[in-house]
Amino acid sequence: MSSVQNIEADPREDFGKNAARRMRREGRIPAVVYGGGGPSIPVAVDPKKIQAVLHSESGQNAIFTLDVRGKAPARVMIRDWQVEPVHGGLLHVDLVRISRDAKLKVKVPIQVVGEPVGVKVQGGVFEFVLREAEVECLPDDIPEHFTIDVTELTIGRNLRVSDLPVSEKVKVLTDANRVVAHVVALKAEEEVKPEVVAVEGAPAEPEVIRKGKAEAEEGEEEAPEGKKEAKEGKKEKEG
Amino acid sequence: MPSKVKYRKQQRGRMRGKAWRGSDLSFGDYGLKVLEPGWITDRQIEASRVAIMRFIKRGGKLWIRIFPDKPVTKKPAETRMGKGKGAPEFWVAVVKPGRILFEMEGVTEQEAREAMRLASHKLALPTQFVARPGAVAAAGGH
Repeated sequence: MSSVQNIEADPREDFGKNAARRMRREGRIPAVVYGGGGPSIPVAVDPKKIQAVLHSESGQNAIFTLDVRGKAPARVMIRDWQVEPVHGGLLHVDLVRISRDAKLKVKVPIQVVGEPVGVKVQGGVFEFVLREAEVECLPDDIPEHFTIDVTELTIGRNLRVSDLPVSEKVKVLTDANRVVAHVVALKAEEEVKPEVVAVEGAPAEPEVIRKGKAEAEEGEEEAPEGKKEAKEGKKEKEG
Repeated sequence: MPSKVKYRKQQRGRMRGKAWRGSDLSFGDYGLKVLEPGWITDRQIEASRVAIMRFIKRGGKLWIRIFPDKPVTKKPAETRMGKGKGAPEFWVAVVKPGRILFEMEGVTEQEAREAMRLASHKLALPTQFVARPGAVAAAGGH
């Protein structure tokens, strides 16, 4: 469980980008609470508290209590969040109400431990392909993460979703055959000669995709030339 | 540069706003993020790739998240104005602030940082090294 147990929120009354930007300048971010059979409530929350939840052991699957002023507290978890692309600050959060007896579909992160034999001895490259698996379970049974040992992994071998250590209470929804991690042999890196490119100067142009009317267009292009010739002929006659 | 194009020449366009797509690490543990809008030429991308691959020598995987699909034309030197648009000269990738340029995996954070630093010196735009949360522990493991 996350270290954050309780987050306070205020109901929002102003909507739209202007109000949202004002709110962000004041140090709070817009959020919305929905699901669990209740109405959708727009709220404002402290982004630091949400970041603390996201950086906790359980990450986005952490369940905490949202205390909306003037409403009954609700158990919620983070469904989605938006991040500013340059500095990474939180912009908006979707919170979904959780009931203890309803199963949830959540994404659980996969962690790897150990150094593969394929990397250590054989000189291959370890590739971590699938970083999270989708599971279905009750809120109290959500695993913090799946840990897999990759020590025995050699070149050409892979670990699949079916190899994940899953408890009986959890049903994995991701395809059991999907590769989680593997070790691949290194490809010989081609040495590119930049001097050759510099000598060439302008690069060769790519092929231009022509429409089906290419012939028709060519015919049209010829027509004005014919007109030109006719005009020139007239001028000569006049001269 | 693309293998096929619909039109040989393009207008320059504008680069307003931020990169709302392609601004997260999708493949690797470490990446290089661009902080200003601009054009990155095919030569700059190739030079950065070579710099990274020469530094990491063996081991590690690199993803290039941008592609130069915009042709830039240029008029020949000492040419009078007019007579139509110049000939396509080089290709660029249009990037907006926040765009991830390169991603790496299978190296330590220190190696990734140095490789990205070398790559950033080949580019004309300010960049920032980014790492996936918890990537340090994972990289130490393999």
